[in-house]
Amino acid sequence: MTKIVRKLRPTDYWRIGEHESWFSDMSAKGLHLHKVGIHFAHFKKGDPKRMEYRIEVTQTKEMPYEQSSMYEVNGWDYVASYQYFHVFSSPEENDALELHTDPMEQSYTLDQLNKQLIMSFIPTAFVVLLIIGTLAAMWFLNDTPVLGLVEGQLTQQMAFSIIYLYLGYYSTRAMLSIQALRRKLKEGKAINHHAPWEKHLRRNKAFSFVLTITVLIGSTLPLIQIFKSETLTLPADDSNLPIVRLGDIEENSLLVQEEHYIEGIDYSNFYTFNWSLFAPMQYVTYENGVIENQTWLDKRGTYSPTIYTELYHLTLKPLAKPLNSDLIKRHSFGVDRELFVEIKHPNLDKLIIHDAGEIKQLIASKGKAVMYIRYSGNVEVDVIIENAAQKINLLSEE
Amino acid sequence: MSYNGGPMTEAMYYVLLALMRPNHGYQLMQLITEVSNGRLKMGPGTLYGVLSRMQKDDLIVLSKDDGRRKTYEITSEGERALRIEYERLKSLIIDSALLEEGEKHD
Repeated sequence: MTKIVRKLRPTDYWRIGEHESWFSDMSAKGLHLHKVGIHFAHFKKGDPKRMEYRIEVTQTKEMPYEQSSMYEVNGWDYVASYQYFHVFSSPEENDALELHTDPMEQSYTLDQLNKQLIMSFIPTAFVVLLIIGTLAAMWFLNDTPVLGLVEGQLTQQMAFSIIYLYLGYYSTRAMLSIQALRRKLKEGKAINHHAPWEKHLRRNKAFSFVLTITVLIGSTLPLIQIFKSETLTLPADDSNLPIVRLGDIEENSLLVQEEHYIEGIDYSNFYTFNWSLFAPMQYVTYENGVIENQTWLDKRGTYSPTIYTELYHLTLKPLAKPLNSDLIKRHSFGVDRELFVEIKHPNLDKLIIHDAGEIKQLIASKGKAVMYIRYSGNVEVDVIIENAAQKINLLSEE
Repeated sequence: MSYNGGPMTEAMYYVLLALMRPNHGYQLMQLITEVSNGRLKMGPGTLYGVLSRMQKDDLIVLSKDDGRRKTYEITSEGERALRIEYERLKSLIIDSALLEEGEKHD
């Protein structure tokens, strides 16, 4: 049985000379072209033989019988086709008459292909413009784009947009290259049937690799995100989570959790874990407590403090700073944005607080860790800051 | 690109010339080599391209098709185009008399 060897095509499908040269070099190594796929060419393993290859472009995907038989009579055997491209071969020793002896006439064989590439470029250009517009809108009209990226809502769209943009770029290049080839032929410059293809192969391999990774990331990210996300009841005692607990702040043994169970999860005391490419560890936690023998400072009723936390452990440290601003945007309501003030803290890269009496908010970051806390209760903001700094340092040391 | 009456490619000119007598593909290639005294060897790709393009432009017509072999012949329009081109080429030669004189002086 003949062995079939598959090889990545070294260059773009429209590069005729490079393909002819590559097929020829392969046959000298004993790999004889058998089939051409989108990304790979299939070769039959056999004895090394010096062969010449020529690629003919036709107006229809099927080559007219009269044309191929005319080529065969002149010593060129049909080998394979891809789209509008048809490959013929002839042993080098036969010194068969060239298929095309007039470059000007050969340029006309590209007319139809050129028209088709222009026709397919128009909708592609439209889609690309649409994508650029959507991307720009997602980024600039979204109030908190970095949060979107970090929490993973934007990463998939970005990955797919990169692929579409690449496809747009690819079809533009196809069109321009065929036009350039036509021009060259019209000027009387024949195709170089032994054009070097090696440097194209390296670039093509790198490109294919990057594109495959992008497609994989784009298609699997949302699945990983869903798979990894979970919401659980926050246990009353220590949870080992790097978050500030009500117990740490209140320091009152009479503090009990106020529970509110839905389908087995206490939605008054819960934590959600999320994963994303830019923040592989994210927590959202909420804790609700009651101290029966204590009242709010304004004596309005039984004291019931709450604490809400968002915690991000980022992949890239430079994301921390823009994430801080996005967190302010998310948790302020426009008017009170200026009430978030930055204060210095020896153990934190950045600390922003908003102290509005009972409700205290803080955004703390250190290294790749960013934490947002909203606390509603009687305890002073300094206590919350110290607790937050302690927890965030545990995380940034990891 | 359809023929607009401008200068013809060499391939076009010789195919029209050869088709003054109905002929089929393979014979045409040999005939062109003969007519041009071996100067012009036309590749099958070039020939096929010229034939199909000129057929579309009604300069030649398929006179017989027995499935295996297609015979083409020139149309009256094709012959007119050929004669116009011939006249143009003749004037080129006449205009080039200058070169001949130059050679005589040498």
